[in-house]
Amino acid sequence: MAYNASLYIFIFLPICLAVYQMTPEKHRWKVLLGFSWLFFYMISGKLIVYLLGTTLLTHYIGIWLTWLKTREQMEIGNADRMQKKEIKKKYQKKRRAVLFLGVLILLSVLACLKYYNFFVHNTEMILDRFSLAFPLETRQVMMPIGISFYTLQAIAYMADVYWGKIQAEENPGRMALFLGFFPQIMEGPICRYSDTAESLYQGKSLRYENISDGYVRIFWGLFKKKIVADRLAAPVGVIFGHYTQYHGAVVAAAAVAYTVQLYMEFSGCMDIVIGSGKLFGISLPENFRQPFCARNASEFWRRWHITLGTWFKTYIFYPVSVSGPVKRWNQYGRKHAGKYVTNLVTSALALFPVWLCNGLWHGAKWSYIFYGMYYFTLILLGTAVKPVRERILQACHIREDAPYWRVLQIGKTWVIIFTGELFFRADGFRAGLHMFRSIFRGFDIRQFWDGTLLGFGMGRADLIAVAAGCIVVAVVGSVSERKGNVIGRLGKVRTPLRWCAYYALILAVFLFAAYGDGYQAVDLIYAGF
Amino acid sequence: MKMKILRRCTAFFLILGVLLWACSVWTDRLAEDMADSVPGRNHTVAKISAEPENTVDLLILGDSESHTSMSPMELWGESGVSAYVCGQSGQRIQETYYMLKKALQTQSPKAVILETNVMFRDPGFFRNLQTCFAEPLRYYMPVFRYHSLWKMIFDGQKNTEDDYKGFMIRNAVDPCDGEEYMKETTERQEIPEFARIYMEKITELCRKNDISLVLMSAPSPKNYNYRKHNALQEYADAQGLPYIDLNLKTKEIGIDWKQDSYDKGDHLNVYGAQKVTAYMGKYLKENYDLPDHRGDPKYADWDQMEKKYREKLNL
Repeated sequence: MAYNASLYIFIFLPICLAVYQMTPEKHRWKVLLGFSWLFFYMISGKLIVYLLGTTLLTHYIGIWLTWLKTREQMEIGNADRMQKKEIKKKYQKKRRAVLFLGVLILLSVLACLKYYNFFVHNTEMILDRFSLAFPLETRQVMMPIGISFYTLQAIAYMADVYWGKIQAEENPGRMALFLGFFPQIMEGPICRYSDTAESLYQGKSLRYENISDGYVRIFWGLFKKKIVADRLAAPVGVIFGHYTQYHGAVVAAAAVAYTVQLYMEFSGCMDIVIGSGKLFGISLPENFRQPFCARNASEFWRRWHITLGTWFKTYIFYPVSVSGPVKRWNQYGRKHAGKYVTNLVTSALALFPVWLCNGLWHGAKWSYIFYGMYYFTLILLGTAVKPVRERILQACHIREDAPYWRVLQIGKTWVIIFTGELFFRADGFRAGLHMFRSIFRGFDIRQFWDGTLLGFGMGRADLIAVAAGCIVVAVVGSVSERKGNVIGRLGKVRTPLRWCAYYALILAVFLFAAYGDGYQAVDLIYAGF
Repeated sequence: MKMKILRRCTAFFLILGVLLWACSVWTDRLAEDMADSVPGRNHTVAKISAEPENTVDLLILGDSESHTSMSPMELWGESGVSAYVCGQSGQRIQETYYMLKKALQTQSPKAVILETNVMFRDPGFFRNLQTCFAEPLRYYMPVFRYHSLWKMIFDGQKNTEDDYKGFMIRNAVDPCDGEEYMKETTERQEIPEFARIYMEKITELCRKNDISLVLMSAPSPKNYNYRKHNALQEYADAQGLPYIDLNLKTKEIGIDWKQDSYDKGDHLNVYGAQKVTAYMGKYLKENYDLPDHRGDPKYADWDQMEKKYREKLNL
C-alpha cells in the first residue's frame, strides 16, 4: 500500500482519522502506533521484527545513556575538583562506548540487509583476480520497508541523547511511534526527535483547518505523482533499459525526464506524507524547497532531500569537523600551508565521509558511490575556485544578484543535476558512462521537437499532460520561492477563490492522472532505498 | 462553529458532487458515442452501453474464460438468440456484479450465463476491499472509468480489435497434452468469501429482474479441476441454480485439446468456442424461452455482423 494508492488515501487514512478522534486524547498516540504497525505489516509482513528490534534497542540505549548521566551527576555531587574531572572523563568514555555500541548494532543490521550482497560480490571479484575462492555467497535478502530512514532516525535520537540535546524517552511505545509513524516510515522525511515527538504524543483533536489543509497537500502530491511522474516512468524505463540503442538528444532527454520524474515523485510523495501528518495536527519537516532554483550544487542539496542533508551535516559533517585529527590538521595547516589550503583540506576531510555515506545510503551500487563522489568533487571544486571566481566577477563587473547571471548559474546547476541523475538512474556505473558519452554522439537538437521523443510508450496527449503539469508546478514553485509556500497558504485565501483552486486541483487529479485502465501503478522510487 | 463547519463541508462536497456528476454524464455519453475506440477493459462496458435498448436476451459474464468460450454470432446463426459477452480479461467478481448492473440499465435479458472461473479469483483482502469501493464509484461516477478519453483529442481515435458482440476471433492453435484433468475426488476448493458475497448480490439482482441465472464452467485444463467442480456444484445446489460443468462433458461436446485451444489449454480458440456455443445453444433452447430474432428488421445489424464474422472465419 503506497502513499499514492487509493486504499491509503480514501480508506486507510479516513478509518485512522475516525478511530483517532473517537479515542480519548491521552490514548490517541496509541491509535497512531497501532495504525503505524498495521501499515508496516501490510507492506513488509513479518519483517516488522526489524522495526520492533530497532525500537527496543534505541529505547534501551537512550535509557542507558540517561542512567549513566544520572550516575555521573550523583558521583560529581560528592567529589572535589580533581575527582570531578576524572569522573566526567570516565563517564564520557562509558557513554561514548554505549553510543558506539548502539550505532554499531543498527549499522550492522543495515549492512547485513542492504550491503551484504554488494560486499560479497565485490570481494569475490577481487579474490577471483588472485585465483582465490571466497567462502560467502550472495543470497536473496528481504529488506523491511523504510529501514534506511528509521535507522537514521534512531541514530540521530541516540546521538541527541548522548549530546544532552534531548531527554531519553522512557515509554517504549512512544519511541515506537517516533520511529514507525506511518506517514514517514516509507520515504521519510528523516525526523529528529525534537522536531516531531511532542506533536506525535499530544493527541490533538482533529480540526477542520488541518483536515482541509492536509487533504489539499495530499492532492497536490497526487497531482505531481500521478499526472507527471507516473507518465514519465514508461519512456525513462525504455531508454535506460535499452541504453545501448540510443544516443544524442534521446539520451539527454531521458536524463532530463528521469530528473523530472524523480522530483515530481519524491516531492509529491513528501506532499502526501506531510499532508497526512497535518490531518492529525502533526507538522513534519519539509524535504524540498524549489531545488531547481539552486545556483550551485551545494545550494541544490540544501533544497533537495533537505532532511537527509541536515542529518549528514549534523551527525557526520560537524562531528568530523571538530574531531581530533581534523583539529590537529587545522593547527598544523595554518602554520605551514596557509589559510586557503588548510580550509580546502578541512572541507575535503569533512565532506568526503558525508558524500560517501550519501552515495552508499541510496543503495549498494557503484553508481550510487559515484553519485556521491560526483557531488563531493563539484562542491569541493566550488570551494577551491571561489577566490578566483570572485576576482573574475569583480574584474568583469558582474554582480552576483544580476538576473542574467542568476539564470546562467541556474542553467549550469541544471546541467549538473541532470548529469548526476543520469548516473544515478543508469544500470551501473559503466552504463552511466556509456550513456553520458553517447549524448555527444549524433546529437541533433531537432529531436526534441520533431516527434522522435513520442516513440517511447508516451503519446502526444501524455506529453501534453506532462508539460502542463510541469508548468503548473513550476509556476507554484516560482511564486513559493518569492512569497512563501503557496499550497500551505491556500487555506488563508478567501473562500470562493480557495474553493475554485480546490475544485481545479481535485478535478485535475481525477481527470488527468495516469491511473486506471491503460496505466500500471508505478512503485515509489525512494521506498526502494 | 460546528454547524458552520458542517454547512461548509456539505456545500463543498455538494458542489464537488455536481461537478463530478456533470463530468460523468459527459464522459459516459462520449464513451457511448465512441464505444469502438474506447481502449482496454472499459471497451466492453462502453460497447454494451452502446447497444440499442432492450435488444439483448442473453448476457454472458465472467473473466477471459467467458469471452473465449461463447460466440454470440454462432448462437445467432444457429437459433437467432441475441447474446452479448460482457466478459473481461481478469474480471473480478465485483466487476461482474457492476457489469451486470450496467447492462441492465439499457437491456432486459431473459437469461445470464456466468462463467464460474471468476468465482475463484482472489487477489487478497485489501485488493478486494479496494475493488469493493472502486467499482461502485466507477459505476455511479463513470468519470473515474472513462477519465482518459480526453487523450483521443490529441492522439486521435483508434478502433480496437474487431469484436462480435463481445467475442473476438482467436484462431491460433497451441495444443495442450489433453491429459485427463478432471480426476474425481470428494475434496473441494473453498470459494473465497468476497465471491460468495457478490454472488449473492448477482443472484438477487437476477431474481429482482426476473432473469434466469445459469452457472457455467468453460472447458479449461489450466483453470479447472474436480475440487472446483465439487465446490461449484455444492454452491449451485444450495442456491438452487443450474450448473453446467463443461469440463465433465468435453467428450460429448467434442473438444479436441490438440486443436481447440490457442494457449496450451488455458483458453479455447474459436474452434473450441464454436463447439461450446453449439452445446450451450441446445441447452438454452431446451430449457429457456429465448426468442428467435432472425428476420426482425430491428436486428438487421446482427445479420450483417454474422456475415462479417463468417467471412473473417473463412479467411
